[in-house]
Amino acid sequence: MGHHKKRFRRRAKVCRFTVDKIHYIDYKDLELLREFTPTNGKILPRRVTGTRPIYQHKLTRAIKRARFMALLPYVGQ
Amino acid sequence: MPLYEMGIIVDPEVAPEEEATALERLEAIITAADGTIVDKDARGRRQLAYPIKKKNYGVYHFWTFEVGGDVLDKLNFELRTNDVVMRSLILNLDRELKRKRKLDKKRDERAAKKAAKRAATAEAEAAGDAS
Repeated sequence: MGHHKKRFRRRAKVCRFTVDKIHYIDYKDLELLREFTPTNGKILPRRVTGTRPIYQHKLTRAIKRARFMALLPYVGQ
Repeated sequence: MPLYEMGIIVDPEVAPEEEATALERLEAIITAADGTIVDKDARGRRQLAYPIKKKNYGVYHFWTFEVGGDVLDKLNFELRTNDVVMRSLILNLDRELKRKRKLDKKRDERAAKKAAKRAATAEAEAAGDAS
């Protein structure tokens, strides 16, 4: 003990939507949606982003709508 | 009448007049059913994230309007049968914004309460100074 104390403290993850008080996620708001989709086109899990479950559900829906409207890719590079 | 939001992607290779007539027909369907168009947002030509009908570009239009729900069938039929429209999506904004409106209302109420409280304490302080 003592030797291996926590050297790195992982930065606390916060929910973007709770902090910024975004109550409705628009599928046309690509800049926002891009934060949650890496270039491979997948949706980042809330385990990674720290998004609250309600907003994760809404986010998924918005991203899928954006995909349908060809605003976001289904599969990326 | 509920508020709807419609997004459409129009074929970019089609003549502008043809596009205009197609949009007019959509507008006619809405206005014929006593609907009102609240907002028209033409985003213009934009690259698609993946090809649709072997086309890499599309012309985007986003409209918000109010109509009776029974018109949507007609509207969807028109969107489907019209070759100019490559893809469309209609959302019920009332349903989508329900939570947002509720939360916004709550926030505004809280802000009003806070402001009232602050005014009251300022008043009390002013009265205390005067005495």
